[in-house]
Parts: sequence; C-alpha cells; structure tokens
Amino acid sequence: MANTTVLVPEPARPLPGLSINSSQGLLQWISSVDHKQLGIMYLWMALLFMLVGGLEILLVRVQLAVPRNTFLSPEAYNQLFTMHGTTMIFFVAMPALFGFGIYFVPLMIGANEMAFPRLNALSLWLTLFGGSLMYFSFLAGGAPDAGWFNYAPLNQFNYSSSPGVDYYCAGLLLAGIGTITASINLVVTILRYRIPGMRFKDMPVFVWMMLLTACLVLASFPALNAALAMLLLDRQLHAHFFDVTGGGSAVLWQHLFWLFGHPEVYVLILPAFGIFSEIFAVFSRKPVFGYAFIVGSGIAIALLAFGVWVHHMLAVGLGNTVNGFFSASSMLIGIPTGIKIFNWLATMHGGSLRFTVAMRFAIAFLVEFTIGGLSGIAFAIVPIDLQLTDTYFVVAHIHYVFIGGTLFGLFAGLFYWFPKMSGRLLDERLSKWFFWLFVVGFNGTFLVQHVLGTLGMPRRVYTYPDLPGWGLLNMISTAGGFLMGAATLLLVYMLVTAIRRGPLAPADPWDAYTLEWATTSPPTLQNFDRVPPVRSARPWRDHKRPDDADHLKPGKKKGVHGK
Amino acid sequence: MHSPPSIWAQWHASPALLLLVAGLAAAYFGLSGGRWQARGGLYFTALGLLALVEASPLHYLGMHALFSAHMVVHIVVLLLCGPLLVLGLPPALPSTVARRLARFSGWLRGHTWLAWLAGVGIMWGLHVPAVFDASFGGLDAAFGLPALLPVVAMLLAGALFSWPLVGPTAEAHLHPLAGVVYLFSACVGCSLLGLLITFAPADTYQHYARAGWCGTPSLAPDFASNPWGLSLADDQQAAGLIMWVPCCFIYLGGCMYLVAKYFMADEGVAPPPAPPLRGRGAIRPLTLASVRLPSPAGEGPGVGLH
Repeated sequence: MANTTVLVPEPARPLPGLSINSSQGLLQWISSVDHKQLGIMYLWMALLFMLVGGLEILLVRVQLAVPRNTFLSPEAYNQLFTMHGTTMIFFVAMPALFGFGIYFVPLMIGANEMAFPRLNALSLWLTLFGGSLMYFSFLAGGAPDAGWFNYAPLNQFNYSSSPGVDYYCAGLLLAGIGTITASINLVVTILRYRIPGMRFKDMPVFVWMMLLTACLVLASFPALNAALAMLLLDRQLHAHFFDVTGGGSAVLWQHLFWLFGHPEVYVLILPAFGIFSEIFAVFSRKPVFGYAFIVGSGIAIALLAFGVWVHHMLAVGLGNTVNGFFSASSMLIGIPTGIKIFNWLATMHGGSLRFTVAMRFAIAFLVEFTIGGLSGIAFAIVPIDLQLTDTYFVVAHIHYVFIGGTLFGLFAGLFYWFPKMSGRLLDERLSKWFFWLFVVGFNGTFLVQHVLGTLGMPRRVYTYPDLPGWGLLNMISTAGGFLMGAATLLLVYMLVTAIRRGPLAPADPWDAYTLEWATTSPPTLQNFDRVPPVRSARPWRDHKRPDDADHLKPGKKKGVHGK
Repeated sequence: MHSPPSIWAQWHASPALLLLVAGLAAAYFGLSGGRWQARGGLYFTALGLLALVEASPLHYLGMHALFSAHMVVHIVVLLLCGPLLVLGLPPALPSTVARRLARFSGWLRGHTWLAWLAGVGIMWGLHVPAVFDASFGGLDAAFGLPALLPVVAMLLAGALFSWPLVGPTAEAHLHPLAGVVYLFSACVGCSLLGLLITFAPADTYQHYARAGWCGTPSLAPDFASNPWGLSLADDQQAAGLIMWVPCCFIYLGGCMYLVAKYFMADEGVAPPPAPPLRGRGAIRPLTLASVRLPSPAGEGPGVGLH
C-alpha cells in the first residue's frame, strides 16, 4: 500500500431529513445522529450537571465552614452530598469522557461516523433523561440520601422512606443502559471502522483507552444494573435481596456495587490517560514514550480492575484471610499506573515542551494524581484502612483521583480539542487564570482534608464539634471550594465568549499527530473525504513530514530517537 | 499429648505418579528423536514441578488437611505444568507426528471454545462438592492410580487450554489480542468459582470438614491446634481466594506475554486490513498525488458548537 491514500466512505444518511444548514436550530440538534453533535451535547450535558453538582457541594461546604453550623438540616445535607457524588460520577465524568470518545474516536480512526448512529443518539438521551429523572426526585418528595454508593441497609425502605432511592435506581438504570449502548457502539466502531491500514498498534492511545474503557463498561455495568433492579424490587415489591431480617444480605449490595464500582474507577481514569498520552506527545514534540507499555499497562489495569474490588470492603469484616489477599493485589495495581506515570515523564524528557493550558493540566495531573495514587496505596494497607475509612482522608483521596486524574484529563482534553470542535480559539490569558484558580482552589480544598481525616473527622456528618484545628481546616477547605466554583464560572464565560466571538482556529493549531487534525475546524458533516495512509501511530505527522515519517524509522515509535 | 509427625517429612511418591512422570519424559525423547531440543528445559521444568507438587509435603497437606494447599497444587498442575509441557514440546518433530499435530492444531483452531471449556470446565467440575469429595476416595488404592486421575485430567486440560495460544503450530495460534480476551474470560470464569468457594458455607467440602481424617487429627483444619491455626472457614476462604486472586495473576501474566508478543511482532508484516464498511461504498486506494485534504477553517458548513 505504498503511498496510497484511502477514500473514506460517506455515511449513508447522516441526518435523515434535516440539512446541517437548516434553520431549525435546536430541533436540528435534538434530532441529530451525527457523532460530533452528539459528542458536543454529551459535553454540554456534563457541564450543566457539573454546575448543578458543584452548587450542591458548595452548599455542603458552607454548612461545614464552621463548627455546629445550622445552615442546612441533616436531611438536606444528606441529600446534597448524595446528589453531588452521584451527579459528578454518573452525569459529569462519564458523559464528558464518552462525549470526547464519541466525538473523537471516529475522527482519530479515519471513520465518518460511529457504527450505529441512532443507537448513539439513544445513548445520549437515555443518559440525559436518567439524570433528569434522578433530579426530579427533589420535586417528588426528596432526593436520594444514602450516599453515592447507597449501602444497604440504609437504602432500604425503613431507613430511607422518601422516594429518593427509587429515583436513584431508575435514573442510574436508564443512564447505565445508555452507557452500555454507547460502549457497544464504541467497541464495534473501533474494531470494524478503522481506516484500512490502521492496525491495532497504530491506533492513537486515546482510541486504545476508549476501547478498553468500553470493554470495562460492558463487563462491569451489568452488576450495577442487576443490583439496582434488585433494590427496586426490594423497595417496591418487598423482595428481600438486601434485607437482613428477611434473610437477605446487606453485604451482597456492597459486593455487587463494588464489582461495578472498582472497574468504574478505571472507566473514569483510562480515557483520561488516553487524553494525557496524546497531549504529552504533541506538546513535547515527541512520540509518546513506550507506546506498547502505555497500551499494555492499560490492558493490565483493565484486567486487574476485576480482581481487587474487595479492597473497598476491607472494613466490612470479611476476615483477615480475605483482607490479606486483596490488600496485596491492590498494591499491585500501583505498578501499571506507575509505569504510565514514568512513560509520560519520559515523553517530556528531552522534548521541546510547549506549556499550553492543556499541557499545564497534564503536568498538574502528574503531581495531583500521584498524590491520589499514593494515598490509595496507603488504603491498601489494612490497618491504615481500618483507621482512616469513612474519614475525610477518603474524601481527599477520591477527589485527588477524580479531580486530579479524571477532571484534569477532561480539562486538558477540552483545551486541546476545543479549537477542533468549535473552530474557535480560547482566550489564552483567561485560560491560564482558570488553570491557576482551579489548581489552587482544588489543592486548598482537598489537601487539608488529608489532615482532617487523620485527625479523625468522619465524612458524611452534617456538622462537627469545635475540636482544635477542625474549624480552621474546614474553613480553608470551604474557601478552596469557592475558588474552584469561581474558576468554573470563569470557564463557562470563556467557553461562551470563545464560541461567540473567539478568533477563528486553524485546522491544526497545535501541529498535532493524529487524524482528527487532518480535517477542518470544526469538521464538516462528512468528517473526511480521504485520509492519508496510516503507517504509524502518528499518521498526520507522517503526512506533514514525509521525509521524517515514523515508519521510515521503526525505532522512533518506541520513543528512542528523541525529537 | 499426641505429637504430629513433622509435615516436612511427608514425601510420598506413588508408583502411578512415578510412572506418569517417567512416561512423559520418555515421550519427550521419543518425539525428539532422542535429542535434547530447544525449550526442553520448559518441558522438564513442568515435569519437575509436577513431581514436586504431587509428592511433596504440600501434596500431603492438601490431601489430608488443608484445602488451600490442595488448591495450590491444582493451580500449579493446571496453569503451570500443562502449558509448560505444551511450550516445551520439541520444535523439530518426526514428520508424521508434526503433520498430525498440525492437523490437530488446525482442528482446535476451529473449536477454540472447546479448549477454553476444558480449562475452565475442569476447574468447575473438580470443585463440585460431590466430585471433589469423591476424588479423595481411592487414596489407598493400589499404585495410587485413582488419586492420579484428577491430576492427569488437569494436565490434559491445561495442555488443551494453552494449545491455541502456545501450541506447536504457530499458524494455528489465536491472534495475540484475541488471546487476551480468551485468557481474560477464563480468568473471570475461575474468579467466579473462587468467589463462590470463598463465600460458601464452611462445611461445603466434607472431606476437610471431617476431623481426624487419615489418623492425623492435629492436622485437621477444624482443630485450633493445627500448625497454622487455620480454622476450617479460613482454610476454605484461602482456597477460594487463591483461585480468585493469584490465579488471576497467572492469567494476567499470560495476557502480558501475549501483548508483548503482539507489540514485538515484526513491524513489516501487516495483518490483513480491516474489512471494508458493509454497504457503504467501495474503498478505493488512491495515489498520494490525488490526496485532497480539507483546507483550514471556512470550507463548508461546520459542525461546531454554534
């Protein structure tokens, strides 16, 4: 296939009955089956829910700012922190990651559309309506109030008699089905719709990670969906799956939830790893160091995800035998993740770095995520877990992983791909302001929570006594939270102004490597007419620099030739 | 007080085991034409391991006292010995044997599910409580033949299971990435069984629940005085967990081996390209001169955030 390019087949009927230029405005978006529009709608949805979920937690932080505060009632407090956690995980992080996946996977593999465009739209709307249904519970008598992992027996009718938990089940079931269909779509698209010539080992790392993520979703979400259905049966039809007095098992809920929940952690982090891999490479002007190791450790993480979930239950009392095994296996998880961290460091080493905002978030991620990773390894040690479980140390850990990992990945992806998606450039000065505000606010909020947790402050209590240091640390945490809130508002302002009147973006503003930059910014309805031949993991760069193409220097792909 | 005989002295090689190991060693030299060939070390490592786990105090513990020790033996035989025997087969075989093996590999390639089922099925089958307890029935029989039956079955199943991945005919191997799926799904199958055993009632396996078995009461796991102080429940949990967690790491090791193999495969040999999209027009290769890539912004209506 020397020096050939490949004509990309056009989708048969991309937007049935509606032209992209139609004057139908919103209707055209609502009825769209175009993967780019759906991806963008996923991202808007995530932003909307992020504002709501952020507002909820700011109310919680106000309540916690001073000891013995009476700003929120205990009932309202329970509902707010539950909705915050559930929203951020299921309706912010997941849709945003899938939004990027659905937008960019077809572009990166040289396809014009996802495998099942209508299914794609169904996934989006199921997720949106799942979220809306869950929020409807506020009007229907009370939101879910048993925490985002909704443990039995607290989720049972006699402990949580408002319909909130029912809405939790129904909303997450809907969203879960949407996530599964989106994953099926991604798997089929990646396996079948790569441009001929693109082997698995030529796929961009982001595509690899989305493939692994989708497989993880397919393997893990059934456990959650089954648990939710069982819980609904318990609550509505008086079944006894989790009702101990009726012969059920409360621990069964935990098993089912974490059988889903631990892979979910990797579902949320692997796509972010993919985004970072693209960004480190492009802004270091080097191929990603150790492509095979990044992909291989991704596969290892995906496989290990199912062998460690019991470490969420070390304090349940399953016995020392069980705890010992899962403590050991959980520590091993650090190895593949550590491999990736060193891969990214080595990618930057010797590169000519460009500190764009996307790259700044990527570098901040290395620091923050490592903090979260280390506190995670600490939790794998059973005595530490017994001491710190259900304290603010856990809260700090989960936020260093999910914000320092997933959310920074989303921000990095947003700043990297925004010009491609919108055709506009973001204001660089404001973007840097946003970066610093958010990073400082984030560390201000959560770094001190490590201390609070070690001092013994339990999570999920609506107020606390005036013990030495607690008030001050909580006040710092609240101030940090408001800083993040301000940064988020700034982000919204930046996005809206850039879309309205930002400077036009060129097709390839970062001189990037992968195929999505080979089309216009924003891409036309038909992504590609034709694409350059793919003979390495950096096909667009090969096309731009034919004399220096990667496939001419086989060692280069492994990152050994420097720039 | 009765003091138990030292565990470390419990080496027992049944005649049947010795015959099996000797037979397998003879088979190697029969196949290799009496010569030592490449990777022979793997083959004989497998035989050494087999002899070790079947004759050593570990085996004695497994048969008489600890389910967890028994599980270690199972896993070594099934997941290490079986695959190592296949990996260590002599590369240069007599032509008739090579032809037969190639035919078998080709057939198995079309029936990969059988190999998968052998590997996972033997685990599940042997740990059905009734089957499990029955497998201890013939311990004292002549030559130890009945006791060796499960071992032979596991060796065969392990060899069959690994055949599509590392069998002697490279052309009949699964694609390494398909191999990852193959191993991963098997891992899930075994994890589920391990999970069941871990959380099953402690007397599920009657063999270990019977105290004073085989005249060594102090080794019976429901005696608090056994050397490790393991209760029956702890022991069964440990057995389940060994199948669940470390066993997974063996499969994971296999997956990593396959991934490494895939990425280290010759760069020049490209696998066949992805099939064309069905029903969406032909894909025509074009010369580079005719590449028409879209020019920067402004060309045509865009799908943006507008």
